[in-house]
Amino acid sequence: MTLTIAARNVLRNRRRTLISLLVIAVGLTILSFVLGFVGEAIRATERSLVMELGALQIGDPRVLDGRASGLEGLIPPEVLERALALVQALPGVTGVTSQIRFAGLVGDAEGSTLLLARGVVPEDCMDEYACVLASGRALGDPVAREIVLGARLAARLGVEAGDRVNVATGTAAGAFNAATVTVVGTVRLADSQAEERLGLVPLGFAQRLLRTDGVERVLVWLDDLDQAPAAAAALADSFSAAGVPLGVRRWDELTPFFSSIATFWRAFSGFTTLAVFVLVFFSVLEVLTIAFLERTREVGTVRALGASRGRVFVGFVSEGLLLGALGGLLGVASGIALSLLFNALGLSFVPPGGNMPQPIRVSVGAATVGPPFLVALGATLLASLYPAGKNARLTVVEALRAL
Amino acid sequence: MGQGSFCYVKGTPVLEARELTKFYTLGKEKVRALDRVDFTARQGDFTVVNGPSGSGKSTLLNLLALIDRPSAGEVLFEGKPTSTLPERALAHLRREKIGLVFQTFNLIPVLSAAENVEYPLLLTRTPRAERRERVRAILAEVGLSDLARRRPDELSGGQRQRVAVARALVTQPRVVLADEPTANLDSATGKQIMELLQGLNREHCVTFVVVTHDPAVVPYAERVLTIRDGRIGGEERRGEPRPA
Ligand SMILES: Nc1ncnc2c1ncn2[C@@H]1O[C@H](COP(=O)(O)OP(=O)(O)OP(=O)(O)O)[C@@H](O)[C@H]1O
Ligand SMILES: [Mg+2]
Repeated sequence: MTLTIAARNVLRNRRRTLISLLVIAVGLTILSFVLGFVGEAIRATERSLVMELGALQIGDPRVLDGRASGLEGLIPPEVLERALALVQALPGVTGVTSQIRFAGLVGDAEGSTLLLARGVVPEDCMDEYACVLASGRALGDPVAREIVLGARLAARLGVEAGDRVNVATGTAAGAFNAATVTVVGTVRLADSQAEERLGLVPLGFAQRLLRTDGVERVLVWLDDLDQAPAAAAALADSFSAAGVPLGVRRWDELTPFFSSIATFWRAFSGFTTLAVFVLVFFSVLEVLTIAFLERTREVGTVRALGASRGRVFVGFVSEGLLLGALGGLLGVASGIALSLLFNALGLSFVPPGGNMPQPIRVSVGAATVGPPFLVALGATLLASLYPAGKNARLTVVEALRAL
Repeated sequence: MGQGSFCYVKGTPVLEARELTKFYTLGKEKVRALDRVDFTARQGDFTVVNGPSGSGKSTLLNLLALIDRPSAGEVLFEGKPTSTLPERALAHLRREKIGLVFQTFNLIPVLSAAENVEYPLLLTRTPRAERRERVRAILAEVGLSDLARRRPDELSGGQRQRVAVARALVTQPRVVLADEPTANLDSATGKQIMELLQGLNREHCVTFVVVTHDPAVVPYAERVLTIRDGRIGGEERRGEPRPA
């Protein structure tokens, strides 16, 4: 009967209950939307970074940590072969490719400019760049003298697909080398500075230009990103067991800015959660304080009939919890509705550090529904404690004398 | 409700006051609301405590009902002192052995008549089937079987007080205490309530203590005490004295 009484008391002053429910529901709608948005934003950034960086990278530890240039720590073919065998033994590997990054000059007879080039295996992983191709085509032949330029770089050089440019660089041994290559396409990047320097060439051609048969780093993709730490540890173990002198880095170790972005977003979620909690707490506190104090005489009555202080307290607190649960359900439902509506709009954005536009979506799931519901329950529970305690502490005659 | 289900041994003291004294402090002033009152209610007694407004009737009733504590003196329930009992034990006595009727009815507004009557049985953890049966029987006895599902605000004052009487009696308490049970009723309705209480007293020998300033209540008593300025004056016996 405690619950029956609590439920009926919740319905007793409909207008007041409605206002509380509305406040809770609005707060929760905002909260679950923000949580869904932030969660999805973090995941989209993650996806786009991993698409470019791989889930793991393998190479000379000095190179991976930026303490040496790529050419100072190239992976010789026999080491690469052993490393790749160990990578293939890992569970959940969905893709592997090798790269060489090198700096050089690109230009023609009239002048040249800085080039930050990547030798890539065209068939392995070029999906992302292929998708942002601004003109021409992607790389195809693994050894051809071809280059895909950043669109801004191409514009600066005044070249387009089909034109020829000269590429000059230092070789692995420190000598000078140059070659004439055909521009086959241009790409756009979110990062315009990078776009002004970027050139992509087939790995085989890059090796010839640098006069090496090594590669700089190996990128590994996994089917489940959450397994990256375990996979990195397992791979590092098997490398040291097999005497392979290479290091393994996770994608998030290679992009320190991701963790600060993610931390920012999580703090933002945290603040929103706190703000909604405080909002719900204070508005419910006010409503329950009035509602409970109006019923002080009823408290006196049931206490006179022999109800314990505890029963009175529990009765009021269950009323608060009921209000919270009701508001929670309402808020979560309207949060889901808003998120689905938003997703139906189909907006998109390019995440920081990424190159491919990602859909702006709001995720809907346990992570966006659970915390808001708990906020509603927790805030109303907390808000009911004080007025409930105040009523339960009164002596019977004090309570009966109340108006 | 079976005949005599309330009857213990007639004439044994149920509720006694010894030198019962209560002060209220109003600012610096000390108000002596009750001054060394001695009082005994025996099993089956129908006692009316009569006195003018402010004479200390409610103060006495609250102390006898164990919802307030005296400044000095003692209330004995079934012969045992209560002043040293903790609140939990007093609440236990209240729900198991005392019925209360208020001037303002004090029903729980969100509960129906039947649920209000059932409420004390929930406090005593009476099994569901027994609760249903007792509620049905007592509602029939106070003549409210047809209105069992109504909420208090759908009942007249007299009907509400009948619900309150049923609620006070449903646990089969040893004593029922009533503070001005007719004060908020018109005189005809007040008369009906007093007749109801008298009938319950005669049929089940429930012990009643009624405090009132309403002279119309007095004829229903077999024993009338007068209270004035916190002191009990003369005792008057009316009607058949009960066998000891
Ligand atoms: N809480 C209180 N604080 C201070 N004084 C009080 C308090 N309650 C009662 N009194 C005083 O104690 C005296 C007795 O009050 P009590 O309520 O017992 O009288 P009563 O006979 O029930 O009066 P009424 O017929 O008006 O209900 C009065 O003088 C009253 O003013
Ligand atoms: Mg009074």
